[in-house]
Amino acid sequence: MNVIGVVPAFNEAGRIGATLSACLPYLNKIVVVDDGSTDATAQDAVMDKIVVLRHKINRGQGAALRTGTEAALKLGADIIVHLDADGQHHPEDIPALIAPIVDGKEDVVFGSRFMGIEPEGMPFARRFLMVGIKLFNALMLGITKNMTDPQSGMRAMSASAAESIPFSQDRMAHASEILRLVTRSKLRWVEVPVHVRYTQDSLRKGQKSTDALKIVWQLFVGAFIR
Amino acid sequence: MLIQVILVLIFAAFIVLSWKRFKEKVISLGEAALWTLLWVAGAVVTLIPKTTDYVASLVGVGRGADLVLYLAMACMFYLIFKLFINYEKLEKKLTDIVRKDTLSDLDDGKPGKSA
Repeated sequence: MNVIGVVPAFNEAGRIGATLSACLPYLNKIVVVDDGSTDATAQDAVMDKIVVLRHKINRGQGAALRTGTEAALKLGADIIVHLDADGQHHPEDIPALIAPIVDGKEDVVFGSRFMGIEPEGMPFARRFLMVGIKLFNALMLGITKNMTDPQSGMRAMSASAAESIPFSQDRMAHASEILRLVTRSKLRWVEVPVHVRYTQDSLRKGQKSTDALKIVWQLFVGAFIR
Repeated sequence: MLIQVILVLIFAAFIVLSWKRFKEKVISLGEAALWTLLWVAGAVVTLIPKTTDYVASLVGVGRGADLVLYLAMACMFYLIFKLFINYEKLEKKLTDIVRKDTLSDLDDGKPGKSA
């Protein structure tokens, strides 16, 4: 099985090298999409088994993820794994994430931060926000409430599933969009527990609580564009 | 009042323009009639502002001037929203171009590094 990781990265110099090195033992190849970084992200990502692509201008995490996914398909991936560049995901979780697809039981597997494994350093406000997002997802997007993590960034999908999920949100709303597309399609999906570690660094650069409003707006406007 | 004269002249000009476009076969007879109706309504409201009070009372709004304001605001919101949608569409097109360019690097075999 050709398992290819996709890592969108924007100004992750200094962090991305360690993330990629830690993930490589579990993947055949990694596609890094440098999303118009102004630092040395692309240079730091250059290593064996890594394909570095570059957006000439910043287009957002969702856009970079889509570019990376299309690249992985072109490179002949059987399974595609989406990962964050800042190292908040644990690479050791990758085998459990892809196992249901390898076994042919599922098409898409979402890593959940809320299935028993305590998220390290997750602020209380963030946990509280997740409850709100979950309710919003159910009411407005029709995403089942069985989904324990409404904003998961770590996911794996078979090549055929990746081809059939036309996610088009360029920015942060892609996570909710993918959940909606997958859970409302005929694709078989499951959640598996994953570790997540929030550091001062990842919290500073990652999503803010107020971004929830931006996501709602992006999804709303997105609903009128086809 | 001067403002009424100016507005009525503008509406009259638009009526002439509407039928000119009909003669040029740019718009259909129905469209020309619809536009004329709109301009005449504008002229009537300008000359007899009280008519808006009548329409306002029909829909349950107190004053005609308020109704005009509400409708104007609704139109503004709609136009602003249309702008957002168009802006978002442009953003998507931009992303498509950037993505195509990025993936062409992969086809050319010249991404940063490939094993």
